Amino acid sequence: MTRKALSLKEFIDLPQLLQFEALHKNAAYVGKRKNGHQLVLLFQLHGYYVEVYYERYRKTIDHIVTTDSTEILQPYLEQINIGEFDDKKKRKNDM
Amino acid sequence: MTQSLPPKSLVLYADDDPDDIELVSEAFQAYSSDLELMTFSDGIELLKFIESIDPFNASPCLFILDINMPRLNGKETLRRLRRLDSFADVPAVLFSTSSLPADADFAKNFNAGFVTKPLHTNQVHHIIDEIIQHCSDNVKKNIGKGKDSAK
Repeated sequence: MTRKALSLKEFIDLPQLLQFEALHKNAAYVGKRKNGHQLVLLFQLHGYYVEVYYERYRKTIDHIVTTDSTEILQPYLEQINIGEFDDKKKRKNDM
Repeated sequence: MTQSLPPKSLVLYADDDPDDIELVSEAFQAYSSDLELMTFSDGIELLKFIESIDPFNASPCLFILDINMPRLNGKETLRRLRRLDSFADVPAVLFSTSSLPADADFAKNFNAGFVTKPLHTNQVHHIIDEIIQHCSDNVKKNIGKGKDSAK
């Protein structure tokens, strides 16, 4: 069975619990950052992004932000597995 | 004949995220009479530990491996564990914030489970239960006894 991709508008219109379920089942994790005392996780779901702001990490959610703009990636860019790319490059050079 | 109490079953958990380690450690406290959770910051640390243990004294009953870790990620750690005779059949779970089908397929190919990390409090205990379901029947039976006697 193929699953219909949830559009950004459909996602925004979902009740919060169903939003979390959609994220938990279908989203790809992009990164994590701190925002004051809150921890923030960024996910990619279909063609858009969802940020989850936690009061208590993975327990109490303060709010979520959804967007299809790649600008949301900016604070995470430094964290996206640059180390892994470096390791791969190093291994390649060692060969 | 003397019979000593069975040692606690060891659950080995590798994750580079201290917040996730704290969350899982807290959730495992409910099982602390039967399970001992040991945590490692990456796959290399976990593999170093299992190379050092005597399988006749302490044997892990479950591996929980975060997928995205520096130095040695969860998938490569799982691949290496499966090459070791003593640990090739020990239940394992790949644990990830993403729910990518390719990662779930990878886990299946290496006879491991795949569990997505919780997003909010309602999911935390359910997910720990889901992880524990991957333990052998013997371990699960003991956990049941421990929980019953704790009531």
